[in-house]
Amino acid sequence: MSRWGGTLRALLRSGPLSGRIGLALVLFWFAAAVAGPWLAPHPVGAFVDRDVFGPMSARFWLGSDYLGRDVLSRLLWGARYTVLLALGAALLAGSCGTALALTAAVRGGWIDEALARAMDTLISIPSKIFALVLVAAFGSSLPLLLLISSVIYIPGNFRIARALATNLVGMDFVAVARARGEGAVHIALREVLPNMVQPLLADMGLRFVFIVLLLSGLSFLGLGVQPPYADLGSLVRENISGLTEGAPAIIMPALAIATLTVGANLLIDALGAGKGRR
Amino acid sequence: MSAASAPRTMLSGLLPLLGKRVASALLTLLLVSAVIFTVSGLLPGDAAQETLGQSATPEQVAALRHEIGLDRPALARYADWLAGMVRGDPGTSMVANMPVREIIAQRLPNSLMLAGFTALISVPLALAIGIASAVNRGGKLDRALNIMTLSMVAVPEFLVATLGVLVFSVKLLWLPSIALVSDTSTWGELIRSSTLPVLTLTVVVTAQMARMTRAAVADQLDRPYVEMAQLKGVRFSRVVLAHVMPNALGPIVNAVALSLSYLMGGAIIVETIFSFPGLASLMVNAVTSRDMPLLQACAMIFCTAYLLLVLTADVVAIMANPRLRAQ
Amino acid sequence: MSLAPFSRRSLIGAGLAGAGLLALPGCARVQAPARKGGGIRVATQSASTADTLDPAKGALSTDYVRHFMLYSGLTETGADMIARPSLAERVESADRVTWSFTLRRGVRFHDGAELTSADVVWSLLRHKDPALGSKMATIAAQFAEVRADGKYGVILRLTGANADLPAILSQSHFLIVRDGDKAPAGNGTGPFRLAQFQPGVRTVATRNPEYWVPGRPHLDRIELIAIADEVSRVNALLAGDIQLANAIDPSSTRRVEAVPGHAVLATPSALYTNLILRQDQLPTGNPDFVQAIKHLIDRKLVKRALFRDFATIGNDQPIPPFHPYFNPDVPQTVLDLDKARWHLKRAGLTGVRLPLYASPAATGSVDMASILQEYGARVGLNLAVNRMPADGYWSTHWMRHAATFGNTNPRPTADLVFSLFYKSDAAWNESGWKNPRFDKLLVEARGEPDEPRRKALYGEMQRLVHDQCGSVIPVFISLIDGYDRRLKGLRAVPLGGMMGYRFAEHVWWDEG
Repeated sequence: MSRWGGTLRALLRSGPLSGRIGLALVLFWFAAAVAGPWLAPHPVGAFVDRDVFGPMSARFWLGSDYLGRDVLSRLLWGARYTVLLALGAALLAGSCGTALALTAAVRGGWIDEALARAMDTLISIPSKIFALVLVAAFGSSLPLLLLISSVIYIPGNFRIARALATNLVGMDFVAVARARGEGAVHIALREVLPNMVQPLLADMGLRFVFIVLLLSGLSFLGLGVQPPYADLGSLVRENISGLTEGAPAIIMPALAIATLTVGANLLIDALGAGKGRR
Repeated sequence: MSAASAPRTMLSGLLPLLGKRVASALLTLLLVSAVIFTVSGLLPGDAAQETLGQSATPEQVAALRHEIGLDRPALARYADWLAGMVRGDPGTSMVANMPVREIIAQRLPNSLMLAGFTALISVPLALAIGIASAVNRGGKLDRALNIMTLSMVAVPEFLVATLGVLVFSVKLLWLPSIALVSDTSTWGELIRSSTLPVLTLTVVVTAQMARMTRAAVADQLDRPYVEMAQLKGVRFSRVVLAHVMPNALGPIVNAVALSLSYLMGGAIIVETIFSFPGLASLMVNAVTSRDMPLLQACAMIFCTAYLLLVLTADVVAIMANPRLRAQ
Repeated sequence: MSLAPFSRRSLIGAGLAGAGLLALPGCARVQAPARKGGGIRVATQSASTADTLDPAKGALSTDYVRHFMLYSGLTETGADMIARPSLAERVESADRVTWSFTLRRGVRFHDGAELTSADVVWSLLRHKDPALGSKMATIAAQFAEVRADGKYGVILRLTGANADLPAILSQSHFLIVRDGDKAPAGNGTGPFRLAQFQPGVRTVATRNPEYWVPGRPHLDRIELIAIADEVSRVNALLAGDIQLANAIDPSSTRRVEAVPGHAVLATPSALYTNLILRQDQLPTGNPDFVQAIKHLIDRKLVKRALFRDFATIGNDQPIPPFHPYFNPDVPQTVLDLDKARWHLKRAGLTGVRLPLYASPAATGSVDMASILQEYGARVGLNLAVNRMPADGYWSTHWMRHAATFGNTNPRPTADLVFSLFYKSDAAWNESGWKNPRFDKLLVEARGEPDEPRRKALYGEMQRLVHDQCGSVIPVFISLIDGYDRRLKGLRAVPLGGMMGYRFAEHVWWDEG
């Protein structure tokens, strides 16, 4: 982890401008996610404007939405749901995928084969339809959304982690550890894992972006966060009829998604470039 | 590289691979069908209730259940379905009273066409963007292309589609806002009405492929052999095409295969917005009407498409890469 | 719509028997004569592989439209909500138990066969077979006997008196198919013939040149498709890809009207989305709690914000103000936080927590729940909105929890909506409300020949439901169609959008 922190410091000192912009955007949205609800000027579900799709004004900084609710307040709450859900799901997918990949790489044999089949199975079922079925079966809830979006991205993470781990397992220092008589758990956690953290974190960053977009796709299918709350994707979706009039109610959440994902991508790119040549 | 022996070693290397792949593909298909069967069993209600709707009397539900075989134990139904699949018969739809094969036959060509057109545009585009930015990495073009691909993925798919419709259909009246695909359509009509869906999907899948291409090519360009070749006086474009690309192709075709597999089942949003009669919306329809044989058939097709794409990617990677070929 | 009582007798008698032949009342004053020819593409909001050509199985608006294109019924309900003879030339009954129908002669099915009493007997009796899966099975249970009376006469005996039979038979499910046809595939006596049918994708119908109503239909061809996404449906209309669309969102009306050459048609209807408070559970079964909730609904806000005024304020009973049987003497419940607080206090339920189950399946329910939650918080009521997916909502959540939302489509008669949703032993007695007095009035009204007396009976039923039932009806939702202005002859029929789904034979295309 210290190496990761080092890269961050290096980025701040001398990294490319795009990386610093990315970092700023990501930090901004994380701050909004944490502090947003305290900053929101109105309750998230309150009908405060008689007009719908109101323009930006002193009272409603970002206008009002299709029911006359305050867009800024809803956006701040939406950022919390999107950022925290996507972060949680990315972490969950990353840790599950990596744990399974380590098991597959270290144990090999039929376990490896079985896990590979399981992952193929998961990945070949269209993810949004899979989500639709699960939500219809269990009802929509935050834990389920978190679980669905992480399960959907486990196979991708597994693929990359397994490739990295298999590579490492073949290396001399692992053979030495095996010769020392170390157990599989020790080899996986102490020898292999530390050497793959950096690319895995970069991968997790990408998954974060994918999950933000997946969530907005799910919201199109009506599978979002429970009202009166809404994630950023749901905000875009519910206000889409304001698109022709260019209402801030739709432009702002769309901008939020764009800046969040672009920022995360720029940051990952910059950190990845920091690795330099191998 | 001896021209005569290469095909033979390639073939002898590929055949066992293909055999193993077919076996594991069949296993995966079985697993997918089991997952679909289990998960859909958790859904409330069944095909009889969903077909008859709220107004159904218990006698009607019982009669319909008997007619479509829903009164038999779930495992027996699954076994029957499996046995049918082994014979190559996906069964009869519980809702539409038609063979599943017929329903699929109406929709599959549409989905393949949508995916095909999109692939035709997006793959060359992604390769061009990826290679151009890798060759110019760090340069102005690279940064411009990077910003472009990033913003392509930063807008939710349904918003891209809706914006496209607003501009090209409602405002300019150039293109139809819905995909009116029918058997009587001419090729011209087909192309016109699938332009917007294809463009939307292109926006969605190109960026990911382009970014992977850039990464793979850049990785190769940074290797010593590129510098060596250039020092030897080989033209740069030749280095890229003859040396860099074959080595970078593995990860690229892999990324392409993954992106293209999205074009079948992942097209649900585009199919919904453009009323496109494809397989993804058919599968959603099968879920809501609890039509198990139809649901399974869709899942099998998506799974097969995915496995085929990944297999193709692996074969291409092996054939393109001299080192892998030799193994 | 006129509130003047209309007499069922005059309908039954020979006086109005010919009315079905004439154009509907509104058509008479239409400016230019209808033009012949042309074709349009029409989009409804729903289609699936369950799409059917069998009228008895129709479940969605697309089905109803398709069936009215291909088949005709014994009777037909017009814009004034009065049922008139159609395929039946005369409908007569002395006691409202035994009905006799005299069929029009010389009407031909698309395959050339002449319509006879055997076709009608078959078409009506098939609903009683559970294996068919008719949507009207419970209603057809009232048919004690259906038999032919000569080649052109049919006798239908009911299990009890029902003055509304002509209206019931005007529904699309009771359209007439060919005798012995077990799986009807479009062979009807309707204004259009089937050219192509792909379930879940499209229906194409072409003009029936031998249609039995002279001068109709006007269009040569209608292509019926479905566009599930509302935004896409509106876009398709504005882009000129379709010429008529139903279920336009109120918030899209401004957009449609802003584009030259397009317009919306709003049909005030009895459609409502209601909050159902189960009377057999707590806290919703507490009468004071019900009163509190009824006073917590900001009906004006619902009407304005959710439906952009394309709605009529409701009063917690299912008969809308524009219905001939509406009782104007029932006092209107309005938003009153103090009263709500008082009722809650009296019930000892201040601070109680209650989940509201809403779903996109019930139009507007999610937003209604949000509004209610907001006002609930002001009087110390902790309401939580549970948005359920549309898929499976009706089978798993509707009526299954203490507080759920329902959605009831317009029914052709007051009797039907009361019998289906408010009678003590009705399968869909949504709130589980049991009131013997109401049940007695309902049966009495069904057979009551005297119109003013009937109206009084329905009036009392409305008061009972308003005062005591756990069904909260904030507004009646208007149905909105969007259309290309070159499409003429479209009018509002309160039974449903698109002229009660029967636009096909009435509209025409006028390029000029």
